[in-house]
Order: sequence, then C-alpha cells, then structure tokens
Amino acid sequence: MDWNIILLLPLLNGFAYLDPGSGSMLLQVLLALFLGAGFTIKLYWKKLKAFFSKNKGEPVAPEAQPEEPVEGGETHDQE
Amino acid sequence: MTRSEARVAASFRDPGGFLFWRDGDLFRQVNRVSEADYRMLMDSGLYARLVKMNLLIPHKEVKAEPAVPDLAALVIKPVRVGFISYPYEWCFSQLKDAALATLAIQKEALALGMSLKDASAYNIQFHQGRPVLIDTLSFEQYQEGQPWVAYRQFCQHFLAPLALMAKRDIRLGQLLRIYIDGVPLDLASALLPGGTRWNLPLFTHIHVHARAQLKYADRGGEAKAASSARFGKPALLGLVDSLESAVRALDWKPAGTEWADYYDSTNYTRAAFDEKRRIIDGWLERTQPKTAWDLGANNGVFSRLASGRGIQTVAFDIDPAAVEQNYRECRSKIESNLLPLVMDLTNPSPGLGWNHQERASLRKRGPADMVMALALVHHLAISNNVPLPQLADFFSRLGKGLIVEFVPKGDSQVERLLASREDIFPNYTETGFEEAFSTVYEIIEKKQIEGSNRTLYLMQSRS
Repeated sequence: MDWNIILLLPLLNGFAYLDPGSGSMLLQVLLALFLGAGFTIKLYWKKLKAFFSKNKGEPVAPEAQPEEPVEGGETHDQE
Repeated sequence: MTRSEARVAASFRDPGGFLFWRDGDLFRQVNRVSEADYRMLMDSGLYARLVKMNLLIPHKEVKAEPAVPDLAALVIKPVRVGFISYPYEWCFSQLKDAALATLAIQKEALALGMSLKDASAYNIQFHQGRPVLIDTLSFEQYQEGQPWVAYRQFCQHFLAPLALMAKRDIRLGQLLRIYIDGVPLDLASALLPGGTRWNLPLFTHIHVHARAQLKYADRGGEAKAASSARFGKPALLGLVDSLESAVRALDWKPAGTEWADYYDSTNYTRAAFDEKRRIIDGWLERTQPKTAWDLGANNGVFSRLASGRGIQTVAFDIDPAAVEQNYRECRSKIESNLLPLVMDLTNPSPGLGWNHQERASLRKRGPADMVMALALVHHLAISNNVPLPQLADFFSRLGKGLIVEFVPKGDSQVERLLASREDIFPNYTETGFEEAFSTVYEIIEKKQIEGSNRTLYLMQSRS
C-alpha cells in the first residue's frame, strides 16, 4: 500500500460530499506546523501589543474590537 | 388542488438535502443523514449568531410535506433572495467580500465546534446589499485533527480568481464562467505573474497548492511528510487566518477602463441631465414597478432613481470598473435595494453547468417589471449591428415595462461609434426606432429631453 494513502486515510474518515483533493489535503498537513505556529505567534504578538498599549495608559480599545473594518460582516475575536 | 413541485436544478450535489419549489414557495428538505449537523447548527447558537451578523440566510422550520419523504428529517423555508447572481457576474470587490464572508463564517463555525464542508462561491448571494451564505446545510461537526475539506474549493472559487483579477487582468474573473467549480489552480499558477511567488500566501495557496495537486493527483507520487502528522485546530485556524490575509491583501482600483469617468465626459448639459432624471423618476412613480433591471447602468446614477423608491433594482454594465464604483457606493451607503452586476448584453449569461440548468441564464431570472435602457440602444444597434426589431424583442423578453432612450445620428456619442466604420444603418432613425419597437411594445409616452437631441420613451409590452 502506497504510504500516501496511509497518510490520507485518517483524513478521509468524515462524511465529505466534495472531493477535497488528495493534494489539497496533503498540502495542509505539510503546512500544519507553520500554520499553527504562525497563528499562535500572531495571537501572542497581539496580546503583547495590547499589554504594552495598556501600560502606556492610552485609552484602550475593548478586546473584542476588530483590528480593521470588515466589509460584509464583523470580525469575531478568536479568544 | 393541483400542485406544482420541482427540485431546484442546482441542488443535487450534497446528499444532505436539497431545495425545491412548491406552488411558488421555496423550501429546503433536510435529509436524515445531515439532521445531526443541522441540529448542532441550531442548538450551538451558531445559526443565531450568523444570522445576527447578516452572514447566513434566515429560515423557519415548517410543517410542509417533504419532497422525498423517505430521506427527509424535516423541511425548512429560507428567506428568499431577490435576485440570484453568480460569481462571474460580480465585480472584484463583490467576489472579495464574498470570500471574506465565507472565511468569517468558517471562523464563527470553528469557535462553536463546527466547520464548513464546502466553500462554493455559488453558496454566497447578495441579500439586501450584503454577501450571505444561502446554504443552511453547509455546516458539519468539526472533527479534531482533520484538515479543511473545502480548502481546494475556496482557493479555486475565490483566491485564484481574485489573485488573477488583481495581479494580472480584471477580465480574468470571467474564467469562472468557463470553470464551474472555480479556476483550476495549475492554470491560475501559470497565468499569474512570476512575482507572485514572492508573496507568501499566494506562493503557498496557489503555486505550491497547484504543484501538490499535480503531484498527488493519483496518490502515486513520493510522499515527503511523516504519516503520523495531524492537522490540529491551531493549524486550521492558522489556515483560515492565512487565507484571510491573502484575500485582504488583494486589491483592484478602477482606473482607465472604458467608461469609468463617463458621466464626467458626457455631452449632457447639467440641465438636460436633471430633466432626464425628472422624466424617468415621474415614470417610475406612475408605473410603480416592484423590480427593475437597468441595462447599461454605468455606475448606477439612474438605477438609484428606482432603488431609492424601494424597487428591487439590478444594475448591469459591461465595464467592471463602473460596476466596481457602483458596488463601492452601495456598500458605503448601505443600499439594500441595488445590486450592481457585470454583464455583456451582447453575450449575456447563458444557462450553465449540468444539463444547462445549474446556473440560470439572465433571461430565465426574469422578467423584471421594468427594464431601463438609457443611452444603450446605439451601443447595441451600431457597435454590435443588432437590428432594431431584434433589440425590441430582446428587451421585451427581459421585462414587461420599458424606459428607453433613443440617441440619434448626429449625437456626438453616435458619431464616435460611426467614426471608424461605414454607416450601414439606414433605419437607425427616430421613426425607424418607433416602428420597430411598436411591433412588440405599446408606446405609452414619449418625451424629448430638453437641451439635447435625445428622446425618452415609456413603453409597455403587448404580450
């Protein structure tokens, strides 16, 4: 058995009516570490910035405020 | 009582349920296979949250009989969208807003333990001026460790066409009309400028993604990953965040295309322009249409006479720049009755997809109560050689009422069109125009626009 298929097996258990594309699924797995780490760093970076801007005694924006205006919907803080 | 019932032609891919018409009402059958996911959507608070954010079409659970009782769990009745439009009819910012709405929905879903199982641009419609998801059955329970099944579809339906429009040529949005499941990523990768490889999100989600698809298409290539890899939730949130950054970074500003500054360079005097507005407004007041299609609407100056009265108005124009301007104005002023769309009237949207029925032709989405064709006839009759009787026939199939402007020879705009070609249009006169249109329309009223050589007509289809 090709080990690409072994790699994909745990990913294709769900009920998916779309063909997710084996390449598209594998790419995500390959990128997982970067995506996860990038997201975590970004989250902490935001917290750090928020912490220092609070310390400066500036008027603080509420936590849930979106970072930038969004067309067609509000953003929602992940925390 | 005789019943008319028909399944919506585009609603067949997802075994989770489907849309059907019954006696003029639209329903969605939720099948038993997707009942648990539907309940989770409702019980988790996700439905209420998305509806509150104007990101999901509201619906009611109804006691109607299912169309296919053997499969059914329940039937819901969604709020109707005024006019169904397709991604190949959207301007750049409409597609971008639809992409951002999809990602915003996915973030909300993940926060409440669900995930989008598809990311089709056709599942987004402009409802009261904003992009909303119309497929209530697009949600499934999130399964820890799974990558996003809709990643490929999101990139093909949204990211690839947006990148091509922003980085290569705005007209490449029309590729969506050819490729019903979005732009193939290898094609997008080949068409994008080489410089986009230095853009990390585009490099990853288009160029590398295209390579990965080719390489693993038959699952026979060499794998380079460890088989124990799992796709945790931080990775999935990171993926959505990365796609969002990619989409946000793409921008296109209308400049220099055909008619973007048309109203500034037109040969109307201020007084004649105001007179034209006054006549059209009076006719709209008199005829009280519920829906209007403004053909050749430019940036929507005259469409707003209709939408401002609460008439559901669609403003079509061939120029993506004019539609872009129009949409941005709609968005900034939160105009809920006006939908600008890109449409080449010499080649209007046909019936597309499976059995020619998945995506309806422009004509099939009509008729409108009122068609407006202002400063348009000369473009179709002279630039595209359409004989006037055929033009009258075309308009009458799109709507019952007609407000049409005749621009005669001698007008600088017509002279401009004739400057580079032979005048083979002996019947292009006011009399010829009236004769041709009288066969299918009754001319209710005719008014000369003072201070110009142009004439406005109010007509009503005879059929």
